[in-house]
Amino acid sequence: MSSGVEHLLQVLFNGLASGAVYALFALGYTLVFSVLGVINFAQGALFTLGAYFTYLLIGGAVGSNGALAGFQLPLALPFWLALLLAGAGAAGMGLLVEATAFAPLRQRRAEPLLFLISSLGAGVVIVNGVQLLMGAESYSIPAGSLGRLPAAVLIGGAQVRTVQLLLMAVAAVVLVVLTLWLEGSRLGKALQAVSEDPVTARLLGIDAGAMIRLAFALSGFLAGVAGGLVALSVSIAGPYFGIGFGLKGLGVLVLGGLGSVPGAMLGGLVVGLAEALVPAEFSGYKDGVAYGFLFLVLLLRPRGLLGKATVSKV
Amino acid sequence: MQFRLRPLPRLLLGLSGLTLALAGCASTGSDKPLDLSQGVPVGAVLALTSNANVYGQDQQLGMQLAERWFKGKVMPIRLRIEDGGGDEQAASQAFNLLIDAGVVALIGPTLSQQAFAADPIAQRRGVPVVAPSNTAEGIPQIGSFISRVSASSAVIAPLSIKAALKRDPSIRRAAVFFAQDDAYSSSEAAIFQSALAAKGLKPVTVQRTQLNDQDFQNQITAALRLKPDLIVISAQAVDGGNLIRQLRELGYKGSIVVGNGMNTPNIYPICQAYCDGILIAQAYSPELDSAINKAFVTLYKEATGGAIPPQLSAQAFTAYQVVAEALTRLNRHTPINGRPLIEVRQELMQELLSGRYDTPLGAIAFTPEGEVVQERFHVAEVQMEPGGRSGRFALLE
Repeated sequence: MSSGVEHLLQVLFNGLASGAVYALFALGYTLVFSVLGVINFAQGALFTLGAYFTYLLIGGAVGSNGALAGFQLPLALPFWLALLLAGAGAAGMGLLVEATAFAPLRQRRAEPLLFLISSLGAGVVIVNGVQLLMGAESYSIPAGSLGRLPAAVLIGGAQVRTVQLLLMAVAAVVLVVLTLWLEGSRLGKALQAVSEDPVTARLLGIDAGAMIRLAFALSGFLAGVAGGLVALSVSIAGPYFGIGFGLKGLGVLVLGGLGSVPGAMLGGLVVGLAEALVPAEFSGYKDGVAYGFLFLVLLLRPRGLLGKATVSKV
Repeated sequence: MQFRLRPLPRLLLGLSGLTLALAGCASTGSDKPLDLSQGVPVGAVLALTSNANVYGQDQQLGMQLAERWFKGKVMPIRLRIEDGGGDEQAASQAFNLLIDAGVVALIGPTLSQQAFAADPIAQRRGVPVVAPSNTAEGIPQIGSFISRVSASSAVIAPLSIKAALKRDPSIRRAAVFFAQDDAYSSSEAAIFQSALAAKGLKPVTVQRTQLNDQDFQNQITAALRLKPDLIVISAQAVDGGNLIRQLRELGYKGSIVVGNGMNTPNIYPICQAYCDGILIAQAYSPELDSAINKAFVTLYKEATGGAIPPQLSAQAFTAYQVVAEALTRLNRHTPINGRPLIEVRQELMQELLSGRYDTPLGAIAFTPEGEVVQERFHVAEVQMEPGGRSGRFALLE
């Protein structure tokens, strides 16, 4: 294979690997946005929690700086089981965020801006809580957590880390399962009905509150799983490490089209590829390129890549 | 004609006058007599949150140990530690807060990037600063009130390049990675490149990253296409640790030299077994055979359940020691209680620079500019234990 093709393939894999993480993040935002029309800024904190839960569940010990210094769960679960349970834990916290930061405001029919601030506050409290309990040091999931899988594989001359292939696979599976579930199950259709028109959905006998809670739980689960996988890939760089991913996920959400599940996935991949296409010598500026690209797309197509046009009735 | 103010304008004028009066008081706050009833107020600004917290926590422990060790040996000090976060704004705010609170000296901030923003504030307000971990070039040159106990990268960084080439003289193709949005990393990367040039090596590539980057696949695959046999990294602990792990996972097997930002055991959990073999120049050796270092190592082990102290804790201990001993000497020949704060700060700076100190880093002194003069430096190799959970900085002969 020529070195030009190898290079192109390398860029493609690099882009898909980053894009898969952004897409997973944006899917979580999308679920909440589609039912409430607001963005849950605590999503980054749930991502962080998923990473810490995974670390603890595989038997990781707390360092010397947090209130739980030296603490270790009396178990050491296999990584995949720990990841699923961490996702469940993050889903539970997602429900808690809904109950404390969203439900009271929803009952009072508060302005959308208040939801943003309230969820941001919930996120900051969670992150600070993590720092208080776990300290601010970095944690890593042991490199051998994937069993006998090699650290990296060569595909057509392109080197790809195994964990990044897994991230791509998980993102693809999540997209397919989520789409099938939304389109083909009663519960998925009920969620869609609430997102289209909560009042009509209620008249049809759908429990809108339950659907909103379901969206938060699913969104928290996705964030938790993404956090655990990213922790395996690049370590947990302290309680704040979800924030950067959260911002990028927000950009991806807007690029893909607010509330669109395939859009969130496409947006993630587009941003990942845009970053990967930046020549390596200038990759320190990849954020600028990614957000510049986002700006250009929104200038030409304000509703995002797959967003629906808003029709105002007068 | 008599001019009468209506109530509201009168109130506003009164408030303005009061504000001006308060501002006036604040501006002359440094003329207040120093009250030592609760000890000499000294401030420290450390990165206890943000990605730089891994350094701040090491430093906080170093200072707490110094407080414990010097209690009763120097004049009583009231240390107030403020979180300087990881950016310039937080560090500047913490500096202002502590200066307004009347500290006689400041220790910090943690990052060079922060020092370039916060130190000019202390300089303008005439408050001595001792930097425990700023290694970028140009820190003491910020002003006459700025000093540091952390030797410049220009002195230390070339030592590790020399050690790598001594170990493997066949090295010909070096690649440099550095965090471009960090003053320390940029400064140190330039020093590394000069050190390579001095050995006749021109980097085959210079890859720029950012402090908050966690995925380096693009930069690494681009660099590995050029088949380097030495990789030099100037980054902070978290991004640098991730970079090393990903380099090794993607198949790089050559030598790795890292800069001072990774001079902390906090890299072990990040690069794990992949940390093994990296070379780093150090300003501190836990094995230094001196009474104060032995005491420091013992205190540190007691506090951490047997861990070996890292350089950052030793330097923070040293910064506290320098301030405490300088204050004690100053007070011995000119008692400072009740004297105007502004005078004490000025005289403390002179005293601080004129002293010699027997510290865990070894014997140190200062140039008139505030640069540390340190006798011994070391090059260490990270040796990870089987399983990659922990390791040590093993000094090279």
